[in-house]
Amino acid sequence: MTSADDAAFAKGAPFADGTGAGTAPAVAPVLAAYEVSVRFGGLRALSDVSVEVPPGRIVGLVGPNGAGKTTLFGVLSGLLRPTSGRVCLRGEDITAASPQLRARKGLARTFQQPELFLGLTVREHLVLAHRVRFARSRLLTDMWNPRALFGTSKAENERVDGLLELLDLTRVARAPVASLPLGTSRLVEVGRALAAQPDVILLDEPLSGLDLRASENLTEVFRRVVANREHEVSLLMVEHDVAAVLALSSTIFVLDFGELIARGSPEQVRHDPAVRAAYLGEEAPVSRTGTASTNGSGEP
Amino acid sequence: MLQYVIAGLALGGIYAIASAGLVITYVSSGILNFAFGALAYFVARFYYYLHTQQNWGILPAAVVAIGLCGPAIGILLYGVLFRYMRLSSPLIKVVATVGLLVAVPSVATLIFGNQAIQSAPGLAPEPVRVFHVLGVPVTLDQVIVYCCVLATVLIGAAVLRYTDVGLKVRAMVDSPAMTGLSGTSPNAVSVGVWAVSIFFAGLAGVLAAPIIGLDPVNFTLLVAAAFAAVVAAKLRSLPIAVGVGLLMGILTSLIQRYLPSNSNWTTEIVDAIPFMVIAVVLIYNLVRRGSIGDGERVGGPLDRAIIPQGESRLAGSTASALDAGSIGLLGRYLGPALLLVAASVLPLIVQGFWVGLFAQAFAYGIIFLSWTLVVGEGGMLWLCQITFAGVGALTASQLAVNHGWPVLAAIVAGGLVALPMGLIVGFLSIRLGDLYVALVTLTFGLLMENLVFTQNIFVNQGLGVNMTRPAFAGTDLSFTYLSLAAFAVVALFIMNLRRSSTGLALNAVRWSEPAAKTTGISVVQMKVLVAGLAALVAGIGGGFLAAAQTSAQPGNFDTFAGVIWLAVLVTVGVRSNVAALLAGITFVMLPALAQAYLPTWTANIPPVLFGLGAIGVAKFPDGTLAQQGQLFRRFLQSRVDRRPVTLSGVALAGDGAGMVPTEPTSGTRLTEDVSP
Repeated sequence: MTSADDAAFAKGAPFADGTGAGTAPAVAPVLAAYEVSVRFGGLRALSDVSVEVPPGRIVGLVGPNGAGKTTLFGVLSGLLRPTSGRVCLRGEDITAASPQLRARKGLARTFQQPELFLGLTVREHLVLAHRVRFARSRLLTDMWNPRALFGTSKAENERVDGLLELLDLTRVARAPVASLPLGTSRLVEVGRALAAQPDVILLDEPLSGLDLRASENLTEVFRRVVANREHEVSLLMVEHDVAAVLALSSTIFVLDFGELIARGSPEQVRHDPAVRAAYLGEEAPVSRTGTASTNGSGEP
Repeated sequence: MLQYVIAGLALGGIYAIASAGLVITYVSSGILNFAFGALAYFVARFYYYLHTQQNWGILPAAVVAIGLCGPAIGILLYGVLFRYMRLSSPLIKVVATVGLLVAVPSVATLIFGNQAIQSAPGLAPEPVRVFHVLGVPVTLDQVIVYCCVLATVLIGAAVLRYTDVGLKVRAMVDSPAMTGLSGTSPNAVSVGVWAVSIFFAGLAGVLAAPIIGLDPVNFTLLVAAAFAAVVAAKLRSLPIAVGVGLLMGILTSLIQRYLPSNSNWTTEIVDAIPFMVIAVVLIYNLVRRGSIGDGERVGGPLDRAIIPQGESRLAGSTASALDAGSIGLLGRYLGPALLLVAASVLPLIVQGFWVGLFAQAFAYGIIFLSWTLVVGEGGMLWLCQITFAGVGALTASQLAVNHGWPVLAAIVAGGLVALPMGLIVGFLSIRLGDLYVALVTLTFGLLMENLVFTQNIFVNQGLGVNMTRPAFAGTDLSFTYLSLAAFAVVALFIMNLRRSSTGLALNAVRWSEPAAKTTGISVVQMKVLVAGLAALVAGIGGGFLAAAQTSAQPGNFDTFAGVIWLAVLVTVGVRSNVAALLAGITFVMLPALAQAYLPTWTANIPPVLFGLGAIGVAKFPDGTLAQQGQLFRRFLQSRVDRRPVTLSGVALAGDGAGMVPTEPTSGTRLTEDVSP
């Protein structure tokens, strides 16, 4: 990191618990945003926001509606250009890179409202994502080659089938995604993201709209993905279910009105006066996942 | 100078009234009415029938034709067609209005006869009085146009801004769904809007008739010119549309003053002015804003949230994809195989003239496949494939006849000349919304038609350029099979593309550009690729069509004729290779059969049928072939399974929260059907 980056992080309140949350991480972040600001006309959606995602960790990003979480995801994934600030992936400045280039460099994301390719089956989603990352030339050469229809590699099959099993999607692998309910659609999005073997996945409200069992299953999948030592994956998760974020994340960033008001370990964020005043309220009741929560609905 | 301005104001006034009607329907329903000119023609023809042929007075004829017939047509069209299309994709909206564009003039001919009318009266009594303003003659017809424009602007603005009706219309523009929840019926408001819109169409038609005569083609071109004002108004601003319409009329008139009157270029440039205005406005907005597309959105978040999945994108619904997942290989390929066999055998059975028609039908099939690529696979609403076909035909004929190239090489070269044009248009339209893509491609076609296809090297004193056939396929029968073979090669290529990684990526881009980008797919690359391929295919198809007809006539490649071709294809099915073949056969054979075996007056029935078929896509966006295929497969499945089979439906976003749906079974859906 540059001195400017250090200065950017110094703007937030330091955490000195040794978890790596409040101080500059010991290892280089896999994904980082430095002093990112976004303006839409006269509206300032983000003001000098800096976040870091260490490798192999789950990082939470919370905040009330309109706090700027999805805008920040847009900037990180390249769908939005920041007015100022930088985005780095594995230390490389990707601020000017297109979304597709970021994806090829190892950044994947899901969407608040699942964005699926309605003409494809579940398996085809995963196959496509895998090929885009590992057999990109096939996107242009396959159409000329009739044999390409049958040419799936062993590695591709293993990866795709493994993911379908991990996400419990094998039974619907050949179903068109247009026929799937919301919960399964979210799983397909996660599978598509994982199929590219990314370094970081941005998860935009992945638990939204899921019932208790579905939510527990998916959080377990996230834990297993991050625990996989063969390929280190980090997750940056926007989620309204604060309790789930507190339970899953090693570090949490809190946004309010486009500004970073707190960051730290779940315990630190839970007791942060600014967060309590702006977001959590005075009490943190028990959530559906068994830990602290904001209210019964999971909404702040 | 003043004389030209006054004359231009009259033409501009008609543009302004037409553009007002177009804007009103667009903002309230999201429909850019391509049939506006045809409807204007119908009302003007009715006025002519009452006033001239039945000797009614001007006032009663105008009241009945413009004041009663126009709004009644608007109400009727809303009731039977447009009310089903509020949530349809832009393609379906365009195709349905193109269906009207085809059907309405033919209906008018069936009702009023096919008498050619070169000069028609306006709203001024004849002989038309002439006033002199600052020494410049102004006819009473022109004064009436000025008054109508003024009344349109003042009354329109006052109603929209200050009345309860205007408030309801503005509310519905923002969100029909919320308007409904607030206790106002969006249907009632829409009926009123459509009535007013067709009233404007009729008014513009009657006012334009003395200037352009009573010819449906001229009316369509007049409205195409009004599109320029609508585009300048970003499809939404009534005052800007009216203002630009007036300015364009003045500009057209002034340019005529300064260009040499005896030059062919003068006519071509004057005709092309509206399309140049569209090009300039789009390029200006593109450079200034980076992309154009938001103006297409109709309604608010609630309205968008209730659009069924798949209906918000081009090329039909998701019903086909759902069906494809529930049928076996036999169910999927039996119908297409039967059609291919029939297409292969029929040229052997029929004789003479009909064999040659099959060659043309297969050539049309190749051109239609270019739309299967660009619209069906690429999800881009392109209206200029006929232009690429024209480029292919004219290039191939020049190379084969005037430069001695082998015919097949010339045909391929024609496609290769069209290819870079497709790449360029594709690249330029990447950042445009669906409807703007349609308008850009339409503009490209009209510019090519006016500025390039009119050159004498192609027109050849109206004779066109002769085209030969390969020596080994000199007879009608052998060339018919050569065309069928070419169709089969292109169709197999598309089939392979659809199932390959390229097809998966194209599918991804079509359904969700943000997700495709964040998956690592280059949207620009895929769109430009499919655009170029489609232009290549259209160019090759054009070459085959010229060879089938043994001449390349620029007049056969009018842009609006291409819109009709698209309507025919979409009616049969834009996502199927076999549908392209069937559309080609239908398009050629139906009029020929009517001409050969039915009374003369029935010549107008095929266009009406094509039109009604295109209108039918509002109800079934996947086309009649897919519709019949689905019904047939369901019939077979119900016989085999003896289990209840659900109707075609689409899953609404957020229709369930479970992780894994019910195990799929043959003939049943994975989710509950929630057909709108």
